[in-house]
Amino acid sequence: MAEEKQNGGKGWVGASLPRKEEDRLLRGRGKFADDIKLREMLYLRFVRSPYAHARIVSIDTAAAEALPGVACVITGKEIAAETQPFIEIGPDHAQKIRDFPMAVDKAIYQGEPVAAVVAESPGIAEDAAELVTVEYEALEPVVEAEQALTDHSILHEAAGTNRVWNGVWEYGDVEQAFKDAAYVVNIDRLHFHRFSSTPLETNVIIGEWNPKDERIYYWCNNSFPSFAIQFLAAHLKIQIDKIRVQTFDIGGSFGIKITSYPQMAVCALASKKAGGRPVKWVETRSEHMVSSAHGNERTFRDTRVALDKNGVITAIDSKHIDDCGAYPRYEPLGCVIWSQVFCGVYRFKNARIDFWQAVTNKCPVGPNRGYSRMQHLWFLERVIDICAHEIGIAPDEIRLRNYIRPEEFPYTTPNGCVYDSGNYPKMLEVAKGLIGWDEWKKKQFDARKNNRMIGIGIGTTLDSGTNNFGQSQIINPYAPFSGNSQGANCKLDIYGEVVVAVGSCPQGQGHETTAAQVVADVLHIHPDLITVRTGFDTERNVHTGMSGTYASQFAVSGLSAVHGAAQKLKTEMKRLASFSLETSEDDLEFGVGEQGPEIKAKSTGKSINYWGLANIVNVNSAVLPENLYDVTLNCRYVWRAPFKVPDTKAKYGSLTLTYASQLHIAVVEIDADTFVPKILDYVAVDDCGTVINPPIVEGQVYGATAHGIGAALMETCVYDEVGNMLTSTFSDYTPITSMNIPKIKYGHTSTPSPHSYSGAKGMGEGGAAPIHTISAALQDALFAHGIVINDSFNNADSIFRALKARDAGQRSELVKLETRQASSAK
Amino acid sequence: MAIKFAGEFEVKKKPEEVYDFLTDPNRFASLLPDFQGLTVQDATHFTIKVNVGISYIKGSADVKMELAEADRPRRAQYKGQGSVAGGNVSMVAGFDLSPTAYGTRVKWQGDAQIFGRLASVAGGLLEPLGKKQVQKLIDGLQAALS
Repeated sequence: MAEEKQNGGKGWVGASLPRKEEDRLLRGRGKFADDIKLREMLYLRFVRSPYAHARIVSIDTAAAEALPGVACVITGKEIAAETQPFIEIGPDHAQKIRDFPMAVDKAIYQGEPVAAVVAESPGIAEDAAELVTVEYEALEPVVEAEQALTDHSILHEAAGTNRVWNGVWEYGDVEQAFKDAAYVVNIDRLHFHRFSSTPLETNVIIGEWNPKDERIYYWCNNSFPSFAIQFLAAHLKIQIDKIRVQTFDIGGSFGIKITSYPQMAVCALASKKAGGRPVKWVETRSEHMVSSAHGNERTFRDTRVALDKNGVITAIDSKHIDDCGAYPRYEPLGCVIWSQVFCGVYRFKNARIDFWQAVTNKCPVGPNRGYSRMQHLWFLERVIDICAHEIGIAPDEIRLRNYIRPEEFPYTTPNGCVYDSGNYPKMLEVAKGLIGWDEWKKKQFDARKNNRMIGIGIGTTLDSGTNNFGQSQIINPYAPFSGNSQGANCKLDIYGEVVVAVGSCPQGQGHETTAAQVVADVLHIHPDLITVRTGFDTERNVHTGMSGTYASQFAVSGLSAVHGAAQKLKTEMKRLASFSLETSEDDLEFGVGEQGPEIKAKSTGKSINYWGLANIVNVNSAVLPENLYDVTLNCRYVWRAPFKVPDTKAKYGSLTLTYASQLHIAVVEIDADTFVPKILDYVAVDDCGTVINPPIVEGQVYGATAHGIGAALMETCVYDEVGNMLTSTFSDYTPITSMNIPKIKYGHTSTPSPHSYSGAKGMGEGGAAPIHTISAALQDALFAHGIVINDSFNNADSIFRALKARDAGQRSELVKLETRQASSAK
Repeated sequence: MAIKFAGEFEVKKKPEEVYDFLTDPNRFASLLPDFQGLTVQDATHFTIKVNVGISYIKGSADVKMELAEADRPRRAQYKGQGSVAGGNVSMVAGFDLSPTAYGTRVKWQGDAQIFGRLASVAGGLLEPLGKKQVQKLIDGLQAALS
């Protein structure tokens, strides 16, 4: 009986269940932070610096404060007087950076808040903000990370340098590998551009500092509340339990909403100054583009690649310079997170990466989909493609010679990370089949005869998920973070309803659905009979210090916590049912009967439904024997990843639990007249191990592919020489839409993870495969024209400039090939 | 976002007369496109108020000007700093005067640096619009001095 009901015996995990969230979201009944209206609520508008680097000489708020309807104006100086600077993760001089939610003495990026006006309506707040006059003394801006490292113009005087962090990763015998090499390819410069994710819903925060109970209440869409409250409690000098954070439906984040805690601080402080009235801030799109968070920009210099005679990479030596914008917020964690994918999908053992991070007079970066790993994976895929073209090996063949072999998994990388499972050659084979590789190769050959520029590119990427926060100690040995954890609660409510809560903040990933599928399989009931709480609430006391939604981990950390809580509940239910049905626990069977979800004694056919069980514990407890007094039917479980703190000296150890992978192939044509690159065909193959819900996974692959294609061809944050952000509206920064995303052929392979209970691997970030793939396809189209793609952003303008620069021998300066011995690489 | 501009013209007035005109804001300020008002603090400091309208950004600009260089009748240079519709502008503008057979050759040059939302929102439009406004001013000066 139980088995038939259980999705025809196949179980609910793996079923293509429609998402529970869709019903309310598609019918406009979602609940978002901006939908919340509170009594006496005020509205906040920031006054922002027009300068990228300027000393604040004076702020005159009198005219603004005098405007009818204005409750108060708050400045950075006031905030600095009553708070602590935010915690700094970086060591040594980086610890001396003084980061407040608003500029105090200096503004160090265009758009940085310098004051905040709070008024009865958004309109009054906006008008009053234009009456605040700020006198600035412009200083020399620093807009390039390499320029920043010269310390010619220092942003944070307290730190005394623009260098946030530097470390060298070195493994194997790099110099010996270069001595033995058949080929050495030298690449002067590669550059990963600055872009951002554009969630449909911008940041929204309502903060109330209640004078009665002296607690701070937040209604917001922050996507990593446990991280935010740890920073806010120290900053606002308040006990962490006095901060309540609630999130609801969230319209996308992609990591960007992790770093909204500075604005959360301002809303609370403004509420306090306004007598405890709640203060709401709704970020405009231009504010979001100029001042929320961007992805890390990274420059790769003086790269040397050693290869043997068969084109197998034996060593890489390179200097990487990361630009984290004005403040290291969540940084410098990015300085180590890239090393989760140290060797990408390749099996070279010898490498030296000299990694630097610098502050610049630009918007602070934040974890942006693919955070810090996508930059490194793009670098490795550029290296493999450039080497392929330089020594004359086909890009698919050189990958097959360099891929980690399926039989080598679990694979330990040079820096001690453990890739749980994968089969990259199989993904390449499936992708080639889906796109019709051979037919396209023939069409390309014919097209080139007519001077058409067609390129076929491959991009192999990883989505490392469930990170070990212990890697922060590689950055700063005193960092009090390590491991990873997530909490969940599963209960039978008073009438026996199954209610689940998780410490995550879904932004469209379908957590309510997949959590219900896991619990349904444990209790052998239909997912529709399970309620999963929407959003996040500290008051549910489910969360851990790492609760939120980030780093491709819900399928592992979230669902492992849910599975653990459901198993704990099931254990209690068995004890109760065994008592009430007077039978042994082995005789019990979970399922659904005439009276709904129930537990049945196989031997007698007697059963008790969930209402009955809950009744004994919650309402009719006089019948409960003492040995069952510990049964609550309200079970919290904390799942912990099996991590150790890495060897911080050697920078060696397991930094992530699972490694989903994706392989994309793109066929791109560059119009000979307009130089506009057009995608002719596109395939995406995904391997995230056991799939909990196929349409949700497919949706994530499409989403990440759209994001990647947008970043590769359409989206780039442009700053001018004085630090003005020139792409602050959607007329200049053009995010991809459903109107210009090509048809994507989707394929799937599966290598279950030995590191998660279900075999699933987190895959929400996607690894930015399209950026690698489109760079590869453009280079394939342009290599014969003497062009090497050395930037992650390419459009008609950049291609036109590259072709024009070709006459100046652009190719020869960028890449130099040394052929050492007679080689039979072809 | 820097905008550079330069040019020259000739007028039938003596260098001294041209110099005195170009260093008296009361005489030339009203020639500024979308001019709204002038406040003179002293012989070398004054504030100009002009309207600004670029794409959907409408507002006014208050620019504090200083006569930074004054070498009668050969050269004059102004420095300006001000706020404009959620952004800031800093500028330098100068005139070099040289006598000709019929009057004076006026060589003008300058550059304006725009900071903030105006540059962000209207980046691409600023240069052409800025140059158009400067040309209107020069045409006005040329007419007033002829």
